[in-house]
Amino acid sequence: MGIQFKPTETFRGDFSYSNSDEAVLRFPFPFAEDKYMYSVNMEPHVRKGPCPVFEHAFDVDEHYIAECHERALVLESDPKRCQVLPHMMAAQWDTLELIMESLATDYPEHFSLTRDGDNWHWINRPLNTDQRFVFGDPSTLPREPFEYITRQAQGDFTIQDQRDHNLYVDGGMVTCQADWSLEFDIGMSFHEWHGPVPLAHDIGVFDRALQYLLRLQYGQPVRRLNWTMTVNPRMDTSPENYPDWGPDKLTVTPENVDRKVHLRVELQTLFRLPRSNGILFGIRCYLISLQDLERVTKWSKRLGRVLATLPPELVEYKGIARYRDMVVSRLAAVDDGAPLSLGIQPDQTSLPPRR
Amino acid sequence: MIDQGIKSRPVYERLRIDHSGLRHLFVADTPSFSVEPLAAEAQALEVWAVAPLDSEGVSPALTDERHRSFRSVQGLIQRLTHRLKDERMGFRLYAAGREGFLWDVYGTAQQAGLGRQEVFLTHHGSTRRRVMCVHCRTFNEGVTTTIAQCEGCGAQLFVRDHFSRRLSAYMGVKVDAELPGDVPPAEQAYQ
Repeated sequence: MGIQFKPTETFRGDFSYSNSDEAVLRFPFPFAEDKYMYSVNMEPHVRKGPCPVFEHAFDVDEHYIAECHERALVLESDPKRCQVLPHMMAAQWDTLELIMESLATDYPEHFSLTRDGDNWHWINRPLNTDQRFVFGDPSTLPREPFEYITRQAQGDFTIQDQRDHNLYVDGGMVTCQADWSLEFDIGMSFHEWHGPVPLAHDIGVFDRALQYLLRLQYGQPVRRLNWTMTVNPRMDTSPENYPDWGPDKLTVTPENVDRKVHLRVELQTLFRLPRSNGILFGIRCYLISLQDLERVTKWSKRLGRVLATLPPELVEYKGIARYRDMVVSRLAAVDDGAPLSLGIQPDQTSLPPRR
Repeated sequence: MIDQGIKSRPVYERLRIDHSGLRHLFVADTPSFSVEPLAAEAQALEVWAVAPLDSEGVSPALTDERHRSFRSVQGLIQRLTHRLKDERMGFRLYAAGREGFLWDVYGTAQQAGLGRQEVFLTHHGSTRRRVMCVHCRTFNEGVTTTIAQCEGCGAQLFVRDHFSRRLSAYMGVKVDAELPGDVPPAEQAYQ
């Protein structure tokens, strides 16, 4: 059975994006405990775990077509959201191969890849694309290989070059980011591009994460979940467009907080690339409105508890200070304080109506 | 406010000759940097410096082959680009000056194929900042305050400590994006 896509939903303007009940129940809720602090919380990206989005190398869901369309809109107004430094061509082909192979294997009803030596044939049915090309020859594709394939994938991607015992962010497709700029950060070392993150440097998180990633093995990808919050289901919360989305934060009221405020979760995956020895970093963004999240009792209580105890530096860094208290008081009103199970699983299989 | 604790801001150390190198070139955006301690470590050190503004374009006389003077930073960088095309392994580059100059030199060296361990930088002189507006990508030169108006789009930019070596610039972010008009007073921070 294929995925029922929702091709016309939007992430701007009328913000018609929403999750089906199935999408709510498979949401990658990021909090395994009632408190949150940075840690090197990476685990093997194996095809099992407490959340269905872990079951594929690259998760494709009902928002696939709409997200690819949103990406095209962002690139139309700002082509620099996709940039790759010239020495990364091998990593571009690595990325194209990994994504095409994974999608064709995981979703054969939607994607297919036929390889005859270097002559490849790619079919993307949801986007009506049928492309024959020569692997390794950029002139046979309508765009450079990295941009070509990441326009047909959900979530942002960066490619890291590994040299001098460090990782450099030397390319990316970044159109649905949580407030970081590829144009500014491209070429930076691991610690430089994480420079603005508070607290984590001082507790050694980035030193340990870098050591871990330098040893990442081909065929053994890893993953972690990261999170923030966004007003309206807006994918493009870039620093470039902050003057456009910043004012949204002041539109939140106790009456509309459940519809306006969204938990934004990134499923971050890291793959060693075989030819370039680079690393592909996938940053897949999931959005869920507070009113949908509340339908899962455990998640509602846990999110309220996490937000109530979040260190002030993180409240500031995540940019949620203007409406955090409204979310906390709404969620606290229906929290009986009972202990919650460890882990991120929803602990229920169907959803009640919205409050 | 001045140290925001962001780790991308470069930290500079005093220049020392890297004796694993065979040829050494020092460049500065001003003749006021005292190069003698460095020159004492390597007799064959070449010294290139930009002439002071009050020389008004007049070329200073060459004192010897190892010392060159340039009319402007632009002239020095262009000459450096040309020079690096002919350099080989064993070359070491040293630079002193304002931060924007340092990373322009660094970028020039990188494009010519020099590695991170072959270029040494030290800050000297003004701490004024080059600030790239993250919204409209205009470069604002010589910023001295914590908040400055972008010359490109007019936004009041907060100067973040986030520094891009590639762009040789700090990031400027609209300070009142959430509540337009809510601009805190700018403080003098970079002289």
